[in-house]
Amino acid sequence: MLEARGLRKAYRRTTAVDGIDLMVAPGERVALLGPNGAGKTTTLLMLLGAILPDEGTVEVLGHPLPKERSEAMEGVGFAAGYLPLPERLKVKEVLRLFANLYGIAEPEPGIAAALARFRIAHLADAMATELSSGQRTLVGIVKATLHRPQLLVLDEPTASLDPDVAQQVRVGVERQCDETGAALLVTSHNMTDVDRICERVVFVAAGRVVADGTPTEVIQRFGRGNLEEVFLHLARPEED
Amino acid sequence: MAAVDALRVRAMVRRQTYVQRRSPQRWFDLFVWPMVDTVIWGSIGAYVAQQGGASGSATPYMLSGILLMHVVYQSNVSMATGFMDETWSRNLLNLMVSPLREVELLASLIVTSLARLVIGLGAVALAAWVLYAFDVTTAGWGLVPVVAVLMAVGWAISLIVIGLVLRYGSGAEILTWGILFIVIALSGAFYPVEALPGALRPFAEVLPSTHAFEAARTLLDGDPIPWGELGVAAVGLAVCIPLAVAFLLRMLHLFRVRGYVTRYS
Repeated sequence: MLEARGLRKAYRRTTAVDGIDLMVAPGERVALLGPNGAGKTTTLLMLLGAILPDEGTVEVLGHPLPKERSEAMEGVGFAAGYLPLPERLKVKEVLRLFANLYGIAEPEPGIAAALARFRIAHLADAMATELSSGQRTLVGIVKATLHRPQLLVLDEPTASLDPDVAQQVRVGVERQCDETGAALLVTSHNMTDVDRICERVVFVAAGRVVADGTPTEVIQRFGRGNLEEVFLHLARPEED
Repeated sequence: MAAVDALRVRAMVRRQTYVQRRSPQRWFDLFVWPMVDTVIWGSIGAYVAQQGGASGSATPYMLSGILLMHVVYQSNVSMATGFMDETWSRNLLNLMVSPLREVELLASLIVTSLARLVIGLGAVALAAWVLYAFDVTTAGWGLVPVVAVLMAVGWAISLIVIGLVLRYGSGAEILTWGILFIVIALSGAFYPVEALPGALRPFAEVLPSTHAFEAARTLLDGDPIPWGELGVAAVGLAVCIPLAVAFLLRMLHLFRVRGYVTRYS
């Protein structure tokens, strides 16, 4: 499904990713966790072919990157809580644009069903730039799931969302993965999301994988009570 | 699998059409600016002709110059701003992680710029005819290859500008117009190259657009199609276009290596 080996990425003043290996199996739901600056987003962007690693290899759905990026991305959906939607387009036009890019020639029925699944059918004719951040995130996830991807990659999907909308996102993503059997790779600072959705967590700190296993295994390994405590331990090791 | 997927190209063309339709300022570029140019240069030509300081061909030279300058202008600005729209609306990352190929994005920008070119050029031609009784079609079919050369020059400039924006970020956007006007000035859009200072002429001679503008003036004088001049322009293009593409690909590679996409996310 997804196989990354030995990923390294250095920018001028810092090493963002320092030898990360990451595998995601079909249907598996994995959380990539770590404090700000740990290298999560850089890792995701390398897995998606938007950034080239200095070292290491990435293979998505059997396609090596960057050579077969387009073919690989046909089976991947990506949404990020921080990404805006294209300007001057209505929601249904944004969705049609991306459905076409993912090879769906007649996407209207799928768009209607997906909007209904996330309970935002009433937004179809709204301009994309007029949405609240929660609505924008939901539309972004609809955009990422229209083509029923085999791998869904979400970067901070519930960042800055109120608990109600965050739950809407969570439920929608879970249902999508249940119905399609899609694998999920998600970064989040919300440990409730992770606990609810993911069966495996990969903790990253200073560009390296420091823990990889089920939530229970990782909690036990660090001798903490829950994932949030593990997170805080990794983010502030000097306080232990 | 085909290197260019028609559905994806069509989707991007539709996206750019929505942007054009819903951006009032874009219509200024398409209609108002060409009209203003026509009035300025047409009137200068008419005034010079009235003063008897030039032959009666001053107005047609000026108007054909402005019309053909807008071929370069529209093809360059349409393509470059079509790309920059994706940076302005921070949509670049969405596109880069979709199956859209770079060549498909470029193909969609070319289609859109062709449509804008037809509209913009139509506006100038109509204004020149209504206001100054200048009928560009009198130059004949020979104008077709001239327009084709100038269109390709506009695209080559925009490939370089897009490469510079990828490398240096939004600050490089000003070069969309900056490089264009340097090329126009050196190409002798409104005057023969001999009118340029001697030091600039060697630069002018290597530009394909210089030979296209010269060919247009020959046609306006009623002479046969200057195939020699157009041939030199074609050879120039055969060098310039691959260089511009290579530059863009190099900048795109750097964009990915240095992670500049995060500027737009």
